[in-house]
Amino acid sequence: MDTRQKAYFEDVREGMTIPSVTYGPMDRYSYISIAIILRDTNPLHLDRVYARERGLPDVVQQGPLNETYLYRFLTDWLHRPWDLRKTKIRFAANVFPGDLLTCQGTVTRKYHENGEPRVDCQIWQENQKGDKILIGEATFTLPERG
Amino acid sequence: MTPDRKTLIGRTFPAVKYVINEDDIRDYLPVAGEEHPAFRSAEEARAAGYQRRVIPPSFAPFVAILGMLRSFDWEKDFFLDYRTGTAMFGEQELEYQRPLYVGDTLTIQGTVVDVYEKQGKRVFDVARVSVKATDEGGGIAFQGGLSYILFK
Repeated sequence: MDTRQKAYFEDVREGMTIPSVTYGPMDRYSYISIAIILRDTNPLHLDRVYARERGLPDVVQQGPLNETYLYRFLTDWLHRPWDLRKTKIRFAANVFPGDLLTCQGTVTRKYHENGEPRVDCQIWQENQKGDKILIGEATFTLPERG
Repeated sequence: MTPDRKTLIGRTFPAVKYVINEDDIRDYLPVAGEEHPAFRSAEEARAAGYQRRVIPPSFAPFVAILGMLRSFDWEKDFFLDYRTGTAMFGEQELEYQRPLYVGDTLTIQGTVVDVYEKQGKRVFDVARVSVKATDEGGGIAFQGGLSYILFK
């Protein structure tokens, strides 16, 4: 349950921080479900011996699952999940089991478009060491007060 | 020696159909920790102001990726041996025209719009693919682009 206070369009100002959320620790067993959903059983995500033979500390969490948390950070905070309009996300580093993922954002612009209030923001996700995992931008709508 | 992937620019992959199905969503919701009531049933979705049961927006990139994974062949279309080669996601840009619903039948199609070489710790190609998902009514559900990093 997300307990962050929801914002209205009038509350938002450029430069404002969106309340951050930390997710985790990441669980290697969830990679099995993701492999099933993506029909992609690349051993890099499932076999830690295989991963270590390739110089990695452990199996690599699937990139789309990293994204899940950055999306949730926004959509759990919005009034309705599909108030999200646009995302642009760059994959910068790998996530491993046990990692904690902190998602953050800063409002960059507020305006009206297509007859609705819109907010642009920068968003990013980093691990417990401060390494950037995902870096991007998003656009969403927020309701106006009465 | 990898063939020149720049020759791929302009290639349009076959359109594939993906039905947003109950099985995938049931597998996804607990793993993702997605708990909004509108994801659970049609009634709860209507109470939240949606016509039908919606999926979490976080599943939309999975829809795009699933569509792409089915429409191209790593070897034939990207000159990549998936057993020994490495492909990674570079960037994703997606714009949503409407909510996505459980049961939506989407036609997903990608076109290679650019390929360029970059030098990191190793030399790799970046392949940018534009993606469009249309619904049964012919309307665009979402569109954007994905880029893949393909090591030489």
